[in-house]
Amino acid sequence: MNSVRLALRVLRADRRTRASAILTGLGVAVATGLVLLLVGLPFATEARGERSMWQVPSYGSGEDGPATLALTTTDDFTRGDKITRVDVAALSDPATIELPPGIERLPGPGEALLSPALARLTDRLPGSQLADRFGGDVIGTIGTEALKYPDQLVALVGHDPATMPPVAWQQHGFGVGGAEQDPLLQALAGVGVVVLLVPSLVLVASSARLTAARRERRLAALRLAGATPRQVIAMVAAETTIAAAGGALLGAAISPLLLHRLAAIIPWGGGTWQPSDFQLPAVLAVVLVLAIPALVLLAAVLGLRRVMLTPLGATGAHERKPLHWWRLLPLPLAGLFFGYVVSTSSDLSPALLGLALIVGSAAFVGPWVTSAIGGVFVRIWRRPATLLAGRRLRDDPRGAYRASAGVVLAVFTGSMALTLLPTFESMAGSSSPFRDSVLYVTTDAAGAGQIVERTNTELARYGQRERAVAVGSVMLMNGPDSGQEALVLDCVTAGTLLRLDMSDACAGTPGIYSQYPLALRGVTVTTEWGAPGVPLAANIPTQPIRATDPGMSSTPIIDPAVLPAGVTPEQVTVAVPTAANNGEVVRTALAGAAGGLQIESRQALLADQQMLLSDLRRVTVLGLIVAAVLSGCSAAIATAGSVMDRRRTFGALIAAGTPVRLLARALRTEAAMPALVATLGAGAVGVLVGMGLFILVEDGAVVLSPWILAPVVLGAGVAVLAASVCRPALNRVRAESLAEE
Amino acid sequence: MPTQTTDPRGPLATATRPALSGRGLVKRYGTQHALAGVDIDIQPGEAVAIVGPSGSGKTSLLHVLAGILPVDSGAVLLGGTRIDQLGETKRSELRRTEFGFVFQSGFLVAELTAEENAALPLLLGGRSRSDALSAAREWLGRLGLSGKEKRRPGELSGGEAQRVAIARALAHRPSVIFADEPTGALDSRTGRATMAALLAAAGESGAAVVLVTHDRDLAASVPRTVTIRDGRIDAGATA
Repeated sequence: MNSVRLALRVLRADRRTRASAILTGLGVAVATGLVLLLVGLPFATEARGERSMWQVPSYGSGEDGPATLALTTTDDFTRGDKITRVDVAALSDPATIELPPGIERLPGPGEALLSPALARLTDRLPGSQLADRFGGDVIGTIGTEALKYPDQLVALVGHDPATMPPVAWQQHGFGVGGAEQDPLLQALAGVGVVVLLVPSLVLVASSARLTAARRERRLAALRLAGATPRQVIAMVAAETTIAAAGGALLGAAISPLLLHRLAAIIPWGGGTWQPSDFQLPAVLAVVLVLAIPALVLLAAVLGLRRVMLTPLGATGAHERKPLHWWRLLPLPLAGLFFGYVVSTSSDLSPALLGLALIVGSAAFVGPWVTSAIGGVFVRIWRRPATLLAGRRLRDDPRGAYRASAGVVLAVFTGSMALTLLPTFESMAGSSSPFRDSVLYVTTDAAGAGQIVERTNTELARYGQRERAVAVGSVMLMNGPDSGQEALVLDCVTAGTLLRLDMSDACAGTPGIYSQYPLALRGVTVTTEWGAPGVPLAANIPTQPIRATDPGMSSTPIIDPAVLPAGVTPEQVTVAVPTAANNGEVVRTALAGAAGGLQIESRQALLADQQMLLSDLRRVTVLGLIVAAVLSGCSAAIATAGSVMDRRRTFGALIAAGTPVRLLARALRTEAAMPALVATLGAGAVGVLVGMGLFILVEDGAVVLSPWILAPVVLGAGVAVLAASVCRPALNRVRAESLAEE
Repeated sequence: MPTQTTDPRGPLATATRPALSGRGLVKRYGTQHALAGVDIDIQPGEAVAIVGPSGSGKTSLLHVLAGILPVDSGAVLLGGTRIDQLGETKRSELRRTEFGFVFQSGFLVAELTAEENAALPLLLGGRSRSDALSAAREWLGRLGLSGKEKRRPGELSGGEAQRVAIARALAHRPSVIFADEPTGALDSRTGRATMAALLAAAGESGAAVVLVTHDRDLAASVPRTVTIRDGRIDAGATA
């Protein structure tokens, strides 16, 4: 009988081996599916980038041909959602310009193409709130092949070359190809592979362990009966291959059918995904699908060492070796390395290496800490559950830590991230002097006049009271190489537009308004750094003002009444205040008038930071949950395995009158305690390391949020999952005859 | 009719109520009769060997008398009180307090030391750490295991491990000890020594012993032997 037939016969005949093979297969399927998805993440960002390359100016070398179109891209917002606005003008015959997939024709002057999601919004909202921003006729919709993500809000607005903003880029056709993978998601995917693959493989190992004792006995019997080591390896390989290959194929199937669809609904970078984005290059997918079962197979064969050394190996006593104290050293060494590189270099790579070393040091420190906790339990136990848990941790700290390693890694990195994120969120901000409610466009003096005029015409047409104001920018110089910027604004308007309390200043005569004292003797005013300036009139008063936001430092304000004659600002910002209920209408009026210039607002400046931080928080929490569920499942299987390993002992205790509920309670504690201690410990260390990292990088207080309690909840969840199988497993033990093997 | 031997205390001893009795015990597995009407009395402090070929029903009789298995008909009396009609919870409590068990392979917990294994039923029953360990050490000492209290099962010989199992069965001072092939995994010499240790320890605590074995030599080490065949007591073969 060959090895495969023997393996199939064992699977058919032995229910527990069959259950173990099914669980092993499921574990391999989960691992394969997750790895395929995680490795696919950077490729997904590349796929997104390829689809949306046309939306950004093509900064080519110019060698690809003469400029055929002018293009500029700006970010607009509607009710907090970002709109990508692409303004374009043909510089040659539009029929000769190659269009990107998903765009059927190039909009001419006064025409626009909208993405389906944006088209739905414009249909729903009054023109004054959205549609009027894009000019006259909407001539069609942009196909999904041209969208970064399915619900992306995009407008392709056509122009005459003369009406294109001066910042427009002249290029040969739309940008095609050359999209790069998102480096942040690359790094996160790498962390994800480690953090999620470990619990997946632990799940596989736990499943395999369900029948380890029985299999060892069977193999030892085969060796005693004369089977050669090669034959035994072949049998194990056949058994494992059947389960692992089946699992890998199942994982490869569920990855596109289930995981890609689930991942596609998780937002990143402002939107969701198309399920096909996660598709890996075929060769890489095949390599991964082959590599994972190969790893499992290798682990199974290496696990045979005891049987291979001697046929009696399976019955040999287990030798306990104490763990050395040097296992504690890698953590402080890695911490010192990290501290050194972040304090001496601004390069990210060595810092990431330091972080990886800190995470990697857990593999050395974890078992030692596990053993130490076991030692404490053994010393202080009062109930048998604590004694059993302590002995298990003390006897096999590597195994006990391995069982929790996945969730330990996930909780450690998650806690660190959840400690750092709120702190970074609190640091997020902008130096813009304008109030949150003010929209503004920066342009030159000539353009500013037109934009102010057109905006105010539109605002009047919409029946709004707000009006656009041109805010000039000049330089106050007190030497050829010394000076600072000042905004040209009257006192009342400055109070309306800027984050400044001008109430005291406006009571006096017009002058220069500043948060701090200014030495104005010899100061000249100019429109450009270093250019000859015009002296300020003597005795211009300086009025003190206060910032409304703590920590904000404003540029001085110079009242137009005291601006020296002959100074006309060249750089001008057109600013419009908004009220609580007319933000969209004002934005529409300004966008229509600005014709492709970037409309700024403090909200827009903060949007990308906030989006990145919420993306990071989302993937951290998702990663933690998936790792916790996987770890919980493997802990549950490991618990069932440990009960089944000792089933005859427990059977004897039940026969001797120990109530099942009493035994179940003890075993629940035994199973839950290591998981709970491991997750709480990893969470605490993660928070401490996170705080340490922040203090190393920044001076300031760490902001702690309730999110850092997430590991506690997950730890409890893992412990509950681990403990949940005790009672059913014991009931099964009770149902077995004491004589049955 | 149950077959009784002479009272081990002598013919003039006052008749006492049996420690454990079975009356008309019937146990079926499907259509198969494991016990087909067994009557048996076990006196306080008495040691009884139940012998018979494989499948004769001796282990079923032990399990029924110990309340591990319910009977299909008949009655089991402990000190004159019926216990076969009790629910599983009460029967578990009885097994925990009145009975002790020794099985073929000690079924010790590999991670625990000898004294912790012996103390385990007491600990699970709610006894304090010091009380339970103290009782365990006392019995290990009586069974000749002084100095080996801290050893794990893997560090003990087969006979020593079985004596730890005996200490575990005796630690709570039961009135009846059930021993199912207690020396089956031991060589004959170690088996005899272990059996002698069990009987001596049971004698010291005044517990009755119900021994199930297929080993005639081992059965001969106890004063009374009951032979069971096809689920019935074989009166002719009983001594």
